[in-house]
Amino acid sequence: MTALSKVRAAEIAGAISDAAERWRDADFPVRVRATGRITERTGYSIPVVEYALDRLFFAIDRASLEAVIAGELGDVEMLDGFCSRAGRTAAWARPIGNVCVISSRTTIGVALPAVLFALCAKCDVLVKDREDSLIASFLETLREELPKFEGAARAETWSSQDENAPALRSFDTVVAFGQSETLTAIRNALSPEARFIGFGSRASAGYVSRESLCGVDAAAEVARGAARDIVLYETEGCLSLHVLFVEDGAAVSAAAFSRTLQDEIARANVEFPRGEPALGRLAQAAQARALGAFQRASGESALFEPPPFLPRLAHAIPVGGPGDALEYLRRHGVALEGFAITDNRPDVIGMAVSAGAVRITRFGELQNPPLAGEHGGRPRIAEFVRWTDKTF
Amino acid sequence: MIADYRAEANALDAEIQDIIERWSTPPGYRGRWEHSHPDFKFDFNDLGLRIFEHQLRFNGPYARFCQSLGITSSAQLRDWQDIPPVPAAAFKEASLATFAPALAALKFETSGTTMGSGGIHYMENSRLYDASLRAGFAYGLLRDGPQPLRYCMLLPNLEQKPRSSLSYMMDRVAKAFGDGNHSWYVDGGELAASRFIHDVREARKNNVAICVAGTAFAFVSMLDELAREAIALPLPSGSRIMETGGFKGRTRVVERPELYTALADVFSLPSHHIIGEYGMTELTTQYYDNSFDETRHKSAPPWLASYAVDETGKQQPPGIVGALVHVDLANRSSCAAILTEDLGAVLKDGSLVLIGRERGAELRGCSLDAESLRAAVS
Repeated sequence: MTALSKVRAAEIAGAISDAAERWRDADFPVRVRATGRITERTGYSIPVVEYALDRLFFAIDRASLEAVIAGELGDVEMLDGFCSRAGRTAAWARPIGNVCVISSRTTIGVALPAVLFALCAKCDVLVKDREDSLIASFLETLREELPKFEGAARAETWSSQDENAPALRSFDTVVAFGQSETLTAIRNALSPEARFIGFGSRASAGYVSRESLCGVDAAAEVARGAARDIVLYETEGCLSLHVLFVEDGAAVSAAAFSRTLQDEIARANVEFPRGEPALGRLAQAAQARALGAFQRASGESALFEPPPFLPRLAHAIPVGGPGDALEYLRRHGVALEGFAITDNRPDVIGMAVSAGAVRITRFGELQNPPLAGEHGGRPRIAEFVRWTDKTF
Repeated sequence: MIADYRAEANALDAEIQDIIERWSTPPGYRGRWEHSHPDFKFDFNDLGLRIFEHQLRFNGPYARFCQSLGITSSAQLRDWQDIPPVPAAAFKEASLATFAPALAALKFETSGTTMGSGGIHYMENSRLYDASLRAGFAYGLLRDGPQPLRYCMLLPNLEQKPRSSLSYMMDRVAKAFGDGNHSWYVDGGELAASRFIHDVREARKNNVAICVAGTAFAFVSMLDELAREAIALPLPSGSRIMETGGFKGRTRVVERPELYTALADVFSLPSHHIIGEYGMTELTTQYYDNSFDETRHKSAPPWLASYAVDETGKQQPPGIVGALVHVDLANRSSCAAILTEDLGAVLKDGSLVLIGRERGAELRGCSLDAESLRAAVS
């Protein structure tokens, strides 16, 4: 029996939606305090943190939560008791039990959707929060909206070396974000029956087709979106644009597009000022950018240079077609999360899918994932339930 | 074309050499350095743009780089800060020289950057380098001291490291300004601590002021040796230390203020006799400390000027931290403008505040006031 087992799923989703609505207000005092702490922890500038919080909380609403639940489980009421299913046995999607969600170091609120869907599934949830206490603060708002959340969710901070760190073996499901070594260590600490949902380090790419470079204005529009995808979160997120392919043979050349992109990055730097991570690695980024230009001027193909993975930097790599892009991603072992495209060209979309992208979108939208979509190619709520079938 | 090149190169070299000599030996010079040069003037901008034009004509890889940026003539530039800086890492990609590298009088191996392994800085002749390094060193270290000094280098000598620009520089300095008894104390990669201690004690007995030159890491190793033996090693009166370089590739990093305090204690030196030098193999001229509080602003001779850029290459206003770009007019036969991987701020008076690569990651805010500059200095 979990703390929320007697609460209807729709009521849970409604309370979450109401709490998120309060957090959409940039002047909500709890959010204001959280913004300061996140800025302190991540080193990102305030406009970047504000953007992240807006994206996070504007995406959370009752309709999206219920659409995901219905899409993955068949009906929201599946979480409240036995329901009949067309062509299948009647079933009840019961909470898996105890869920632990372990946040990653850099990203802002990445753990929150997992926490919310685990709560919608009526699980008891423990979150490993970061020093900014974002999740703890939101849970506090949630408890104000619906006191029944008391006891259902708590957020704590600990390090794996702490004596008082919770025993991961006691959880039925563990969701973790982080680097491969961290994920391996967590996975090894679980009970054999537990579910493990790991989100490792990934990168995102983009492909600018020659059709989209038909004129200067069109190229600038694409570059504007790409610049935003590059500069946000100092290019540290899995949905940051790390690799950018530009198709040869367009009215606007790859070199000209590259120059436009630099202009747009400069503009985006004004809207989203640099934070500390970018400052610390600024000289490396400047060097990598200039070296890329030098190599291209020397006639060397950028296809052989790995992605720089530096703040606010993505080389525009000229390619003859999607095949070159796929070869590049495979050669350099880029594990993909998102893929930005300029139009619905089937060969480009096919390449993105072959390369392992789990989200395909337009430029400028990479860092704005919808709650109703999957994250990391995984379902949102299905892994937090255990089905009980009834054939009687 | 060859005659054309030779005439142009010689004329530029002579002009630069003349500037160095006029600055190095101002009117009234009597063998001791005078800090201010009220009458010294030259048009950095004009000469900088002419050297750029020369490099556009004769340095192929650099010219192609500039062309890719849309620049094919110095007439397109307003001033020296518009000269496209070549990334230091490009020295490993191409032979950045205005002449055939096989004809180089000097070849120095760069230590590389975080982008990868090192390259080679080719210099067509040694005259400019020798003149520039001597002038800078005299300005940086010999302004107020006795001469000649005895030079003790915590470095390998030129035989062991023939392509080390630092060993070359100290070899030339010791020969130009030393008492003829200089020594090197890194032998086969090992620090010859016992010999150094013996030689310093001898110099003290004979009251010969010395200059100890070495990398930060070598000084840390020497301090460790002295601490192990519980030895304090006061240097003779008038002695000084020149510290250079960081801790590239080393596992132990000591903050510079902490290092300087330890050096002052162990060698009984005032802090203004511990002087930080900042140079790069890709440059011909060096910066030296010209303030001796924790901030340690650095200055260079007037044929070297710098500015900072952001990650897109856009120039930063004075006092704002960025990647440093140096324009060294004595780099006539390679590339005058170099984009480094070093983080720092250039102040209104042209002096430099260097921020170590290790410290960059800890910085808060990109505009540094005096207080934070002090704290951020490495």
